[in-house]
Amino acid sequence: MGRPDLNRRQLLGGLGGLFVAGSFGFAALGTGADALASDADTRVRYWNLFSGGDGSNMIAMLDAFRAANPNIAVKDSTLQWGSPFYTKLAMAAAGNRAPDLGVMHLGRVTGFAPGRLLDPWDTGLLAKYGVREEDYNPTLWKRGVIDGKLYALPLDIHVQLCFYRKDVLKKAGLLGDDGRIVPVTSPDEWFDVLKEAKRATKKGLQTIGMWNADQNFQWWFFVAFYTQLGGTWFNATDTEVTFDTDKAVQVLRFLRRHVTDGYSDPGFGGLASAEQFLNGSPFVWEGNWSVPVYSGAKLDYGATPLPPVFGRPATHAESHSFVLPHQSDRGGATNEAAHQLAAYVVQHAQQWAAGGHIPAYTPTLSTAAYKKLDPQSEYVAAMDHQATEPKVWFAGSTGILAQRVGPIVVSSTMGSAKPETAAGRMKKALTQLLATKNPMDGKTAAEGGAA
Amino acid sequence: MATSAHTIAAPARATTAAGSTTLRRKQGFQHGGWFVAPFLLLFAVFVIWPLLRGVYLSFTDANITGEGASFVGLDNYREALNDPLVWDSLGHSAYFTLLVVPCITVLAFLLAMLAHHIERGKWLWRLCFFAPFLLPSTVAANLWQWLFNPGTGMIDHVFGLQTPWLTDKSYAMLAIVITTLWWTVGFSFLLYLAALQGIPDHLYEAARLDGANAWHRMVHITLPMLRNITGLVIALQVLASLQIFDQAVVMMDFLPGPEGSTRTFVQYTLEEGFTSYRVGYASAISVIFFVIIAAVALARMWLLRNREESAR
Repeated sequence: MGRPDLNRRQLLGGLGGLFVAGSFGFAALGTGADALASDADTRVRYWNLFSGGDGSNMIAMLDAFRAANPNIAVKDSTLQWGSPFYTKLAMAAAGNRAPDLGVMHLGRVTGFAPGRLLDPWDTGLLAKYGVREEDYNPTLWKRGVIDGKLYALPLDIHVQLCFYRKDVLKKAGLLGDDGRIVPVTSPDEWFDVLKEAKRATKKGLQTIGMWNADQNFQWWFFVAFYTQLGGTWFNATDTEVTFDTDKAVQVLRFLRRHVTDGYSDPGFGGLASAEQFLNGSPFVWEGNWSVPVYSGAKLDYGATPLPPVFGRPATHAESHSFVLPHQSDRGGATNEAAHQLAAYVVQHAQQWAAGGHIPAYTPTLSTAAYKKLDPQSEYVAAMDHQATEPKVWFAGSTGILAQRVGPIVVSSTMGSAKPETAAGRMKKALTQLLATKNPMDGKTAAEGGAA
Repeated sequence: MATSAHTIAAPARATTAAGSTTLRRKQGFQHGGWFVAPFLLLFAVFVIWPLLRGVYLSFTDANITGEGASFVGLDNYREALNDPLVWDSLGHSAYFTLLVVPCITVLAFLLAMLAHHIERGKWLWRLCFFAPFLLPSTVAANLWQWLFNPGTGMIDHVFGLQTPWLTDKSYAMLAIVITTLWWTVGFSFLLYLAALQGIPDHLYEAARLDGANAWHRMVHITLPMLRNITGLVIALQVLASLQIFDQAVVMMDFLPGPEGSTRTFVQYTLEEGFTSYRVGYASAISVIFFVIIAAVALARMWLLRNREESAR
C-alpha cells in the first residue's frame, strides 16, 4: 500500500536498492569487459527469460555454442519472465539499446510491432547456418511470418498435457497393451475413464488436478477444446467476431463437469494438483514443463496431449522463439553471429527437449536420441495438432486476451457463473478487444493493424 | 548626545520598520530556501513534471516507446467512462477501503489502549504491535500467502479448515484485508498511543473525584480527546487504502485474482500501461484516479474546517 510520505524505511530501502542496482551495473560492466577482452572478434548480446530447469538447459546449450565457436562471445542476460520482460525489451528497442538477440513467446510477436520493435530474420543467413523453412512444421513457421517476412524463429512448442499414473490406471484396467492410456473420443468416454480411475484411487486424493481457479491454465484448456470443436475467433479480415457461443458453452460445461461430478477438487487446484499426482492421484493436466519434476520423482507415468473428447485432436500450444529486437544499425558480423547462434540452438535442442519442450526443428524429432525420451515421444504428435490463440496484437502468452478472458472461463469452471453467461461475456470481451486500437500502430485489427 | 542619539535613532527605526521585515523575510527565504531547494528540485523533477507529462499523455494515443503519439482529445476519457474494467477495479479498491478503514481504526485504538494501560512488559506489546509495519510489502504478502495456502497453510491447519482463501473470489479480498491489517495497523497504533499519552492525567483524576466510572471516563474524556487523531487516522487510511497495490499483486502472483476479483485500480492502470502498452489510456485513467483521490482529500479538509468553525 502506498503511504503518503517517504519514511525512513522507504528511504533506506531506496538506498539499498540503488546499491544493489549499482552492483549489478558494475557486474554487467565486468562481464562485458571480459567479453571484449577475450579473443572473440564478435560479441552477441542475448536476452532471454528462462529460469529454473529451462535456464540451466539454455546455459548448457550456450556453453556448447561457445566451445564450438570461440570467435563469438555470447553475453547472455536472463530477465524476469512475463510483462516486465516485454516492457524492457520494447523500451530497449525503442531507445536503440536493444540486444542483438532475444526470446519471445510466438503469440506475442504480432503485438510487438514487427518492423518497428523487431527486425526481420535474414532467411538466407539462417539457411547458411542450416535452418530452412522446410525443417519446420508449416503452421508453426507461418505464425512467425508477418507481412511476408519472418520475425520469429521458433525454438520449441510447449503444450498442455494429460499426465497419468500408469500404476493407478493399470489397477483400473485403463491401460492398453502398449502400456499407454486407452483412447478417448467423447466427453462421456472421458468421464467413464475418470469414473473407473476414481475407484482405483487412494482415499483423500482427487481424480484429476486441473488448475480450476487459475486463469492461465483454464484459458489454455478452453483454447484446446474450443479448437477441437472447430471454433473460430474472428473472420479472415479481423473485422468480425466469429466466436461461437454454443461451442463455447459445450467446452465450459465440459470443464465445469469435472468439478460438479466430484473428480476435481478446487481445494487441490494449482500446485497442490502436482503434489496429489506425486502421491497417487491418477490424472493431472499440466504444461510439459512438469516432465522433469515427475521424471525426477521416478514416477511410473505417461503423458498425452489433452484428450480429443470433441473428435479432432488439438492441445494448447505456445512457442519460445528467437527474435531480433530492433536496432537502427543492425547488420554486419554481430547480426550474422546472432543468426548463427539462434540457428545453432534451434538445431541442438536435444538438451532442451529433456526439459519437456517439443523441439521446433523437425529433424531433431526423428533422431534416435529424441525417440528414446519418455514420455516426450508419447506427446510429440502435439506438434501437428496445435491449438493456438488467434493471431492478433492482443494475444499471446499472459497477454491482454488471456488476462481479460481467462477469469471468465474460471468463473464458469468454479461455478460462480453459468456457462451460457460466461460464453456471452467472453464474446463481449473479444468484441471490445477487436475494436481497441493497437497502441503500436494506432489501428484496430480490422484496420490492418499488424497481423 | 544621548538625546540626539535618541532623536536620530527614533525616526530611523520608524522608517526602516517596514524595510526590516521584508529584509528579514528575504533573509528567511534565502536561508529556508536553500534548505528546501533540494526537496523542491526533486519534487519538481519526480512529481510535478511527471504529473504534467501524464496529463498531457492522457490526451494522446502514446504507446510505451513514446514514439509516434498523436493528439486524440478526450477519446481516452470517453473510453474510460465506458470501460467496465475501470468501474470494476475502482469498485475493488473502494471495497478494500471500506473493509480496511473501520477495522484498522478500531483495532489500532484497542491495541493502543492495551499497550497504554498494561503495566508489565509494556515494551514487548509495543514492539509486537508495531513490528510488522517495518516489513517490506513483498515480505508481508509472501508470508501471508503461505499462511493462507489451503491444506498446508497455518491458518487452515490451526482452525481445521479447508478454505480456498486465495483462489475463491469470495475470500480473496478478505485475505488481502487481513494481511493489510496485520501489516499496517502498527502505524495507526503508534498515532493513537502518542495521543493517549498526551491526555493530561488530571482530567481523569477530576473525573474520578466526581464519581465517573471507567466507561464514563472513556466516553467523556478519552474518546473526545482522541477525536482529532481519529480523524487523522481515518483520513490517512482512506488515502492509503484507495491506492492498494503491492500486497494484492504479490499475493495473487501478479494476476488479477480469482475471476478478476482483486484487480485494483492501480493494478489496472499498470496492466493497460505495461501489458497492453497503451500509455495514453493508462495516463487518462490515472488522471481520473488522481482527481478522485484529490477530491477525497479536499472533502476531508472541508469537513475538518467546518467542524473547527462550528467548534469556535
